[in-house]
Amino acid sequence: MTGQTEMGGGIKVVGVNHRTAPLDVRERFAHGAHEVPRALARVMAAGASGGVLLSTCNRTEFYLVADDEPALEAVWSLLGERLPATPAAGAREYGYIARDRDAVRHLYRVSAGLDSMILGESQIQGQVREAWEASRAQAGPVLHRLFQTALHVGSRVRTETGLGMGTASAASAGVAVAGKIFGDLAGRSALILGAGDMAELAATCLSDEGVQITLVANRTQERARAIAERLGGRAVSLEEAWPHFATTDIALCSTAAPHAVVTWERVGAVIGARGGKPLCILDLAVPRDVDPALAQLENVFLYDVDDLQTVAAQATARRRDEVPAAERIVEEETDLFWAWYGGLGVVPAIKELRQRIDELRATELERALRHLGHLSPEDRARVEQFSQALLNKFLHQPTIALKTAAEQGHGYGLLEALRRLFGMEPPA
Amino acid sequence: MIVTLHLIVLALYGLATALVLAPFTGLRPAPSTLPPPPAPRAPPRVLVIAFPCAGAAVHVVAISQLTLVGLGPALSMLALCLVLLQLTSERLLRGSAVSFFTAPLATGLVGLALLSGLTPSAEAIAARNIWFVLHVALSVLGIALMALAFIAAALYLLQFRELKARRFGQIFQLFPPLERLDQLNRFALVAGFPALTLGVLLALGYGAQFSGGLHVAKAQVVWGIFTWVVLGWAVWVRVVRHWAGRRAALASIAGFGAVLLVYVALKLTQPGAERFL
Repeated sequence: MTGQTEMGGGIKVVGVNHRTAPLDVRERFAHGAHEVPRALARVMAAGASGGVLLSTCNRTEFYLVADDEPALEAVWSLLGERLPATPAAGAREYGYIARDRDAVRHLYRVSAGLDSMILGESQIQGQVREAWEASRAQAGPVLHRLFQTALHVGSRVRTETGLGMGTASAASAGVAVAGKIFGDLAGRSALILGAGDMAELAATCLSDEGVQITLVANRTQERARAIAERLGGRAVSLEEAWPHFATTDIALCSTAAPHAVVTWERVGAVIGARGGKPLCILDLAVPRDVDPALAQLENVFLYDVDDLQTVAAQATARRRDEVPAAERIVEEETDLFWAWYGGLGVVPAIKELRQRIDELRATELERALRHLGHLSPEDRARVEQFSQALLNKFLHQPTIALKTAAEQGHGYGLLEALRRLFGMEPPA
Repeated sequence: MIVTLHLIVLALYGLATALVLAPFTGLRPAPSTLPPPPAPRAPPRVLVIAFPCAGAAVHVVAISQLTLVGLGPALSMLALCLVLLQLTSERLLRGSAVSFFTAPLATGLVGLALLSGLTPSAEAIAARNIWFVLHVALSVLGIALMALAFIAAALYLLQFRELKARRFGQIFQLFPPLERLDQLNRFALVAGFPALTLGVLLALGYGAQFSGGLHVAKAQVVWGIFTWVVLGWAVWVRVVRHWAGRRAALASIAGFGAVLLVYVALKLTQPGAERFL
């Protein structure tokens, strides 16, 4: 099946992920929620009839219902503009495209955590949902269905397999790394920069290990206060947090700032005053919150998302045993979606066939009736009913066969035969 | 009998060495584009403990039959001290990382002891008394603790390098946390210094009491005092100057390295060095 429907082209996914692009490129391509509608509008203006933008720390992917070239060009151009010095191949150098069934399978694998840096991690499912909701106005019926089923696939994989077993998030990896520096974490102090979900999750992991959360610093105080109340410590502004880098053992950074906030200028001198006491900085933000130059200080141990996910990935090696079972679910669900999607192409084809044959019937009926002028109006009506019934009988079996084949995911062959036999043009 | 026991000890320590170094063989870092390999699997804990324990038990029996005079017995005792310290620190550190160094070192020392000969001369045996045995035992314990401080410092620097370079391979997985290694280094230095000091004082007392003065080779005096001064300096910078972490680890390694270097230099250059350890 080409995946072309009358709803504006085939399903495509175009983007970059942790396998194809390094962190500094991924963070340039990352889109905040407020940027999504404008980015999608630009791609849709290039010819896509539906779009969803999934942007996480590990991937930026445009799911589109579109013809190939113009919309894909628009995506590469949009991403390429975010690179400081555009390489010869532009953003393409870091990216990939999957089409039709492969695109469906790709999203299902993403939602199941099979494509994650940390195999089976569950955070991605929430991110898929958020992406779908943020793009709801522009998604269109096909992508609505695709994302809805992707969430179902994610849930199935997590409940029917052991792919999600154990704790293997970047946050728990942060705890493990801090443990390799300090040994027992009980009684250590931590300050939290940022008050998002990731910051809260990581702070909770630290708190569970006995780490004392002393400060929660955020641009907006309300959310920081909520976390501080739950985990201890007090809520402060970012500016108030810098002096505390002189005393804290762990600094957890996960703000939504578009650039580094923990810079050499702000905390370099403060950290220098620690007298060699180690400081573990866990930077969970994308784009990164912490100036990498700070790692040059001897007593600073700085880890970003890539580092922590590497650690977590090691811990989840045993999840690999569950991959075959998860892949089977993905294949089953891909078949189901593809059957549904194939049906979208069959319905207009049947409609067109019926319309075409009905036109023939009407023409031939009219010609025949011209030679049968002696017939009474009742008889003429009976002849017309006969032609209509004959048409219905004639089309009944092909219609059923096409719908059945489409539901089973292999309607393409019959559809092609139909088009050739009846001289129907493929949809544009 | 002594030699047979030492051969058994050598075999057990050798097996322990092979076991603890097994995770480091045949594993290479994966290319960054592929998922990382699973965490290296440590050998069965029961075997990691059992081999050195069995070796140490046989070793204690062997040592009890030695006169503790001469190079061979001293090396054998040093090996036993190292293994006992390893088992103690493993209990404290909840990890087997110290054995990465102590296991091959102890194996090598037992091998050297066998090569040097474990039976001392009649003259040396005649000079043996409780002062002498205590002097040897405490001095060897002091040196073993200094070696342990060196090992902890080396582990610290390796783990430090991995953590700074964000490499999460075998060293990251198998070595103890930096803080614990720093504590072990400090403990070994602080415990080693009194032991070595007592060892030196006993040597002085033994000389005055039984030999009518210090009739030992000049090289031995130089090395003994040098070792004491270096260990004293390492303790001083840790306890008085509050050095910690990487700087303290470097100091320990530099100190232990200097002691070894001076020992080798004196053995090679000084007359009468054959009587000295």
